[in-house]
Amino acid sequence: MVNYLVRRLLWLVPVLITVSAVTFIIMRSAPGGPWDTDPERRQVDAATEKSLNAYYGLDKPMWRQFYAYIIGDTNSQTKEWVCGMICGNLGPSYRQRGRTVQDILFAPPEGKNFWQSRFGYSMRLGVLALSMAVFIGIPLGILAALKQNTLIDYTALFIATSGISFPSFVLAIFLIIIFGSWLHWVDIVVDDWTQIKYWFMPMIVLGFGTMAYTARLTRSAMLEVMRQDYVRTARAKGLAERVVIFIHMLKNALIPVITILGPALAGLVTGSFIIETMFSFPGMGRAYVQAIGQRDYSMIMGTTVIYALLVAVANLSVDIIYVFIDPRIRLEE
Amino acid sequence: MRKMFLVLSLLVVASMVLTACGGGSTEPQTVVQTVIVEGTPQVVEVTVAPSEPEKEAVLRVNLGTYPDIIDPQKSSFVNEIAHLNKVYMGLTTLNEKLETVPGAAESWEFNDDATQLVFKLKPNLVYSDGSVLNAKRFEFAFQRNIDPATAGQYASITDEIVGAPEWRAADTSAADYDPEAYKAALGVKASHADGSECEGYEDTACDTLTLTFSKPAPYFATIAGIWVGYPAKEENIAEGGEIWWTSSKFQVGNGPFIWESVDPFVKSVFVPNPNFAGAGIPTYKLEFRYITDSAVAFEAYRNNEFDVIGSAAEDLPVIEADPDLSAQHVTYAGSCTIKIQFNLQPTWYDKPNPFTDKKVREAFALAFDAEGWTRDVDGNLSLPTWTWIPPGYPGYDPNSPLRFDPEAAKKALSEASEPFNSPEKLNALGLKLNFGDTPRNRQRSEWIVANYKNILGVDIALDPVDPTTATALQKDPNTFPLLSRGGWCADYPDPQNWLSVYWRSNTTFASRPGYANPEFDALVDEADQTVDPAKRMELYAKAQQVLLNDIPAAFGYNTLNHYLVKPWVKGYLTTPQDAGFPGDVTPWTITIDTSMIP
Amino acid sequence: MATPQAPASNRVVDLNDIFRPSKSLGQEAWSRLIRNKASVLGMFIIAFFIFLAVFASVIAPKDPLELNAGKRYLPPPFYKGTTNIKSEPEFLLGTDSLGRDVLSRVIYGARVSMVVGFLPTLIILLVGTTVGMISGYLGGWADNLLMRLTDVVYAFPDLLFFIIVMVALRDSFIGQFMNGLVLLFAALAIVNWVGVARLIRGQVLSIKQKEFIEAARCIGVKNSRIMLRHILPNSLGPLIVWAAFSIPGLIITEAILGYLGVGLRPSTNSADFFITSWGALMLDGQTAINSQPFLLLAPAVCVALVVLAFTFLGDGLRDALDPRMRGTQ
Repeated sequence: MVNYLVRRLLWLVPVLITVSAVTFIIMRSAPGGPWDTDPERRQVDAATEKSLNAYYGLDKPMWRQFYAYIIGDTNSQTKEWVCGMICGNLGPSYRQRGRTVQDILFAPPEGKNFWQSRFGYSMRLGVLALSMAVFIGIPLGILAALKQNTLIDYTALFIATSGISFPSFVLAIFLIIIFGSWLHWVDIVVDDWTQIKYWFMPMIVLGFGTMAYTARLTRSAMLEVMRQDYVRTARAKGLAERVVIFIHMLKNALIPVITILGPALAGLVTGSFIIETMFSFPGMGRAYVQAIGQRDYSMIMGTTVIYALLVAVANLSVDIIYVFIDPRIRLEE
Repeated sequence: MRKMFLVLSLLVVASMVLTACGGGSTEPQTVVQTVIVEGTPQVVEVTVAPSEPEKEAVLRVNLGTYPDIIDPQKSSFVNEIAHLNKVYMGLTTLNEKLETVPGAAESWEFNDDATQLVFKLKPNLVYSDGSVLNAKRFEFAFQRNIDPATAGQYASITDEIVGAPEWRAADTSAADYDPEAYKAALGVKASHADGSECEGYEDTACDTLTLTFSKPAPYFATIAGIWVGYPAKEENIAEGGEIWWTSSKFQVGNGPFIWESVDPFVKSVFVPNPNFAGAGIPTYKLEFRYITDSAVAFEAYRNNEFDVIGSAAEDLPVIEADPDLSAQHVTYAGSCTIKIQFNLQPTWYDKPNPFTDKKVREAFALAFDAEGWTRDVDGNLSLPTWTWIPPGYPGYDPNSPLRFDPEAAKKALSEASEPFNSPEKLNALGLKLNFGDTPRNRQRSEWIVANYKNILGVDIALDPVDPTTATALQKDPNTFPLLSRGGWCADYPDPQNWLSVYWRSNTTFASRPGYANPEFDALVDEADQTVDPAKRMELYAKAQQVLLNDIPAAFGYNTLNHYLVKPWVKGYLTTPQDAGFPGDVTPWTITIDTSMIP
Repeated sequence: MATPQAPASNRVVDLNDIFRPSKSLGQEAWSRLIRNKASVLGMFIIAFFIFLAVFASVIAPKDPLELNAGKRYLPPPFYKGTTNIKSEPEFLLGTDSLGRDVLSRVIYGARVSMVVGFLPTLIILLVGTTVGMISGYLGGWADNLLMRLTDVVYAFPDLLFFIIVMVALRDSFIGQFMNGLVLLFAALAIVNWVGVARLIRGQVLSIKQKEFIEAARCIGVKNSRIMLRHILPNSLGPLIVWAAFSIPGLIITEAILGYLGVGLRPSTNSADFFITSWGALMLDGQTAINSQPFLLLAPAVCVALVVLAFTFLGDGLRDALDPRMRGTQ
């Protein structure tokens, strides 16, 4: 087990390097650069662009820039050695000049704690959304399966369908109109994210799709398991229904659910562009999308690598959880 | 191992439950309802109580996008500048008529040929924290703007200053690079009134700033007032390092407000600066919020959660249908002119370029139904135009030979040279309209294509690319699109900014599509160096007529500033340069009538 | 997986074959499927939208690209609305921001959205299932390599990739072909197969340890046959759920790509097959939710109906194909 874990963790290195390389190549093939801004405004002057490129090393050969990003390089202006990704330095942001990517994503505003950094905000919302998906989605799925083709099943189906048919930008505006404008239960303009009441709407919008998916997957897996012989045997033995459902059925039904929840967690904690812009939520989801539009190279690389790391770790956890759910699964033969 | 896992998973589940509980139950309704139920008797008590607590005068503005960088010498976007001009004030500033008026400077004087400009600061200037503000601070601001280590987007705006282009172009990695030498050679000098050397930032007698130019620059008093000359404190920048601007405590300025706090992406709070040396001191607290979705902002406004928002064309029918909202809807001329720009290079991707033919350009300019655009695309939230400098700006001239005229447009096309003189021949060339693909731009481009199809019978294909690619394509004369939509927004109100900065043949904007007319260049060169204001304006007016006759683009429309403003916000003076809210240029005239707030 | 011919030879091949009824697998599954009312309803809805998509040019009352000057945001005749704009009977669902007929646009939108929902889903299912099966069944190095590949692909910068192919190929045949839809498929398929692969692999890992697989292996059934005949049918449940979710997911992704400036190439010629999409309509509709709610509601209801249809059909299909349900009603 420990052996396996170590080996899998070592695998992170080639995975992350490959992700970085692919991203780097694609990113640098895209037309335009970080200094190309709004054409209706004064443009960056040639001399200024040259000194910016020199400062950020963008005038060096591509391979050198990639090497500098991963390992590090000497800055041609300040003559200082700047360590790269291996030291946890995700590079300087080209748009938020003076800040590094790790500073933007992980450093809280002054006087605040880590949970108020952009990653901290996204992580909290992501965990909330995932909890909603798990604690509502799974029971809903179980209920729908046990009461197949009854009103409960159809209600669950209705919820799931609306959860996925309405894109988040539509769901968000619906919730805002209903709870903000009509019922006046919560302010539309968030004053302060330390107040719990503001978290509900973004949580619902972020988690709804995953919740719907979880519920449907649970239902489908439960229906599958219900027909298995051992469940019949367990029932025949006279075990309490609760024991049958939770010990015998649910455990076996959880494999597909766990499989999707791993990467879903990685997706949820890295935030969502649409939810953040709709609710003025200070998370990191918009960083990636904005960085692409702005060709903020370090930010694109940084957010991609963080996401890759989270996905890889999530998938590793999923693989380990498999073994506990179904002891017959072996990690390696 | 398995047991450990069970314990672990229990812990995980427990912590999730805890977070879930910490975040309240998953059903917000019940929680909030109890609050309401419990609150009901209290509400009754409050109304019974004789004196209602005084409401605070706050102006809550939705600014939209959160700024990327709030550094006077590095910022360039409207939303960034909206923050800076609250905290800082330049040597000069603008009034509600967009005239250049004293800011931190009490007066200024050009020499006879306008190659030197001397500012005299107001007496006893202080920062919001009470520390001395002298001419040295402004000297530092200009030096920092020019310093290649700063490399701001607007660094080139002060290139008239002696030594500025040289320093900006210096090779900073060279072994013998000496910033101090460049600084010393720069035409920016702070001094005492008698011309003697200043002694540093505490020297209260240091009240004179002299700018020396390499060529006459009679418009520079206006440039000296824009954000690149805002006096951020050198010691704060040094202490905060490169990220000094992220902290409101380092943003100590001399503007109408003090930046009290910032919660990134959520809100910024500004309070009046009692030490402000401008025309008046605001009497209210200012809050900026950053909601980018117009539908959400509109809901919040109707909910009385905002006092000012930008109105959206999509919501206009609702605003018009509601007498209250339509009374609160404020529209007035903005700062940009948008045009359909033609590629004027001799060839386009090795094919003959129809727009080298002036008659083709004339046809496309006359066929652009600017009024139809304003009505159908912008819902009357823009102004049709046929000229370059927008209304409200010095140099505005409504005389234009280019008014919409379908018949004349068709005639002009038929008069064009072979092989561009009929729609069929143009269609054979495969005309394309390039645009940065956003939902809004897509509608706009669809309309433009339909317009030319209806009026000239020309088929234009849509060529969408992602917005940054669109910008990149325009950077290179070889890839500059045949047809695209683009324009210019004023940096400062002077015709020089509209004509010399944009259309002179050596500027980026004119050289990219390939506009060059020696007559125009000569006129603006002369105007730029003319000190007499009347004569100067006359020369610019002539230059603009030359430009209009050349038809380098189909001038389409001017942007409109359009806001929804609550009735208790009073006394604002609108200018085209407003960013964020009406009256942004002179915020001290605004008052909040708290008695009207529900 | 349906094989029309009866199992040959007297060799014991398949435990299930012992109980094989007279009808073939396919026939029986079909007959079970059409007995399921919800599935039939689902099939009807899908057929309806396919019909709409194919015959859009005949069905649509108006030209979807025709701009009606001065008729922005007309409400539908049956809805009073919150604006002062008078409805006109010829625009059954009102008009959009440029005065185009919403109903016609929704009908035409069915084309893009059905194709964007379907085709990539099929590609993704094929690639994902293959990778997942191989990875899960073979295990060891193959599994490790394939799964590390999925880790990489999860973080693949799809948006950027889409920008560069759209720009690089915008003048080529493939970029123009079907308004760039082919590129959209490629971009969507490249990043989305990993979810299916992981899902299938998880199922395979669990199923391959079950007794009946062990038994099949003991009696010398070939690996490929075990995978196709035993493991795949038993992993269908999550796949079907996934597919029903993938369709709206892709329709919405198409809209969001459009929002970010890398969507489908807009058309200016009403003779083109692909004009607009439900996703694009919803995006327009969201900003105009107060002025013309039907610009949002109409496409959203269509997407919801398609999802519902696929869910019904999927549930029915799963039951119909379930080996244990054989012979039951």
